[in-house]
Amino acid sequence: MGLRARHQELSECLDGTSDLADFETFFRDNHRVVVRLAQSVVGDVQGAQDVAQEVFLAAYHRFPGAYEQAAGWVRVAAVHTALNVLRGERRRDKRQRLVPDAGSLPSIEDTVIDREARAEVRRVLARLPRRSAAVLVMRHGGMSYAEIAQALGVKVGNVGTLLRRSESELRKEIDRETRS
Amino acid sequence: MRHVADGILRRLDDEPLAIPDRVADHLAGCGRCSARRARIAHDSEHAARLLSAPQLVPDTDVAWARLRRELHRSSEERAERRRGTARAARRAHRFPSVSLRAGLIMGAVGIVVAGTAVAATLTTIFAPTHVVPVSLSQSDLRAITAFAGLGDSPVLGGFATPSGSSTFRFGTIKWSSGVPTPASSLAEATAEAGFPVSLPAHLPAGVGAVQRFMVQPRVTATVTFDSTARGVGGSSVTLVAGPAVLTRYAGASGTDVPTLEVVTMRRPTAVSAGATLSQIEAFLLTQPGVPPQLAEEVRLLGDLRTTLPVPVPAGASVRSVRVGGWPGVLVADGANAAAGVVWEDGRGTLHLVGGILDSHDVLDVANQLS
Repeated sequence: MGLRARHQELSECLDGTSDLADFETFFRDNHRVVVRLAQSVVGDVQGAQDVAQEVFLAAYHRFPGAYEQAAGWVRVAAVHTALNVLRGERRRDKRQRLVPDAGSLPSIEDTVIDREARAEVRRVLARLPRRSAAVLVMRHGGMSYAEIAQALGVKVGNVGTLLRRSESELRKEIDRETRS
Repeated sequence: MRHVADGILRRLDDEPLAIPDRVADHLAGCGRCSARRARIAHDSEHAARLLSAPQLVPDTDVAWARLRRELHRSSEERAERRRGTARAARRAHRFPSVSLRAGLIMGAVGIVVAGTAVAATLTTIFAPTHVVPVSLSQSDLRAITAFAGLGDSPVLGGFATPSGSSTFRFGTIKWSSGVPTPASSLAEATAEAGFPVSLPAHLPAGVGAVQRFMVQPRVTATVTFDSTARGVGGSSVTLVAGPAVLTRYAGASGTDVPTLEVVTMRRPTAVSAGATLSQIEAFLLTQPGVPPQLAEEVRLLGDLRTTLPVPVPAGASVRSVRVGGWPGVLVADGANAAAGVVWEDGRGTLHLVGGILDSHDVLDVANQLS
């Protein structure tokens, strides 16, 4: 590569410095909540961080120089990306359900109960209609009714109805899971 | 007033100020709506309990470093596409960003650490036939240092003296080697090392004449585990590396700043006495303090008897390449201003080509040697 080309590349990097600083501010303001939303779906920190990385990377390209507009978008994208991960796991889980995972055997009773409960919730979330799962995760992940309405493209007054219906579905699915 | 809708009853729990007073008035006098509200609240609490698993606080600094590295890589790829030289999608791994200098230093340090760790995981003969990358972040290095109890030991920065010993948390490391000596010509360096050394016929733009030849005699390092190393106490592993020939090129403008280095060496070998491979590996990788991701990467390497891990410093990009048909690892710094490639040629010789060149130029040089 010639010196001129390399100089041009470095100049491009330097020109993007202030934009990167803005994006870093946006990232630091929103990272924790995005990870939390993703974690409530996928269940583990590492998986949630991977989801967050994917979402912020997409936001960087989707909202160049206007990151303050992306705060709602990254939350919604985190939930949907995490649900996609969960549905992928569910398909794998169906194939592997009979194979015991010796590496994940819990050591104490509390851990067993906790882990089983969380695995059960993830299975149910993967089965629920996407909008129901999304509204549950958003609300219990701390998003307001207005934010959820904007994310789902519905009126604020309808969020309560959606949420009520989703929580009812969740309870019924959990009951069904427990009985089976 | 008509009975209150489910959605409003649900919102009443979360955002009561958004609900008109007349709803509360109605509830006070309507047993049916109050009963529904209780059921809705029950389901809501149930959902909250299920969905509020303990949340671990993510490390935003680490996440930002990782994302920044990825942003850099993607903009680099776009720039490459603009230059019209884009090749097939690179299988780049993702690491946080550090400066070139830090990267090079980390690389040197990492090779020593991983070499020792690899040596310690072997039982019979270590004779790698191919190279694979292992990511090594600064926090990994700190963790390894702390885990092994090495502190600021010179072992982590390379062997500062031709021979000596150092203690670590589970035992001792002893090493010995000859002093590196300059050679006046390629013929002299080859004779000293005892194996042939190839050099490129065509040099990239900006690379000048050979500045110096250096011959590093064989280095032997022995790791001995003491009795505190449960299950592997008393075992020892001896790592033998070299000899090696280093050829350094100056800049084309006649400056003393090296632009290209070519290292040729016999592949390292290791011999172990005592514990088995699985015992030592299990012992090391399950110790508290070993970064779980690093342990996982080491496990995924497969058969360590034939695999030479190439530690990749944080901030570098890495991809698997073929050099003369042999698998290699190409590492470049974040801006692709410096790069290096490591491969073994199938004849028991390990090659390293690196310099202040982009990865394209480095691969061109490498392919001339095989």
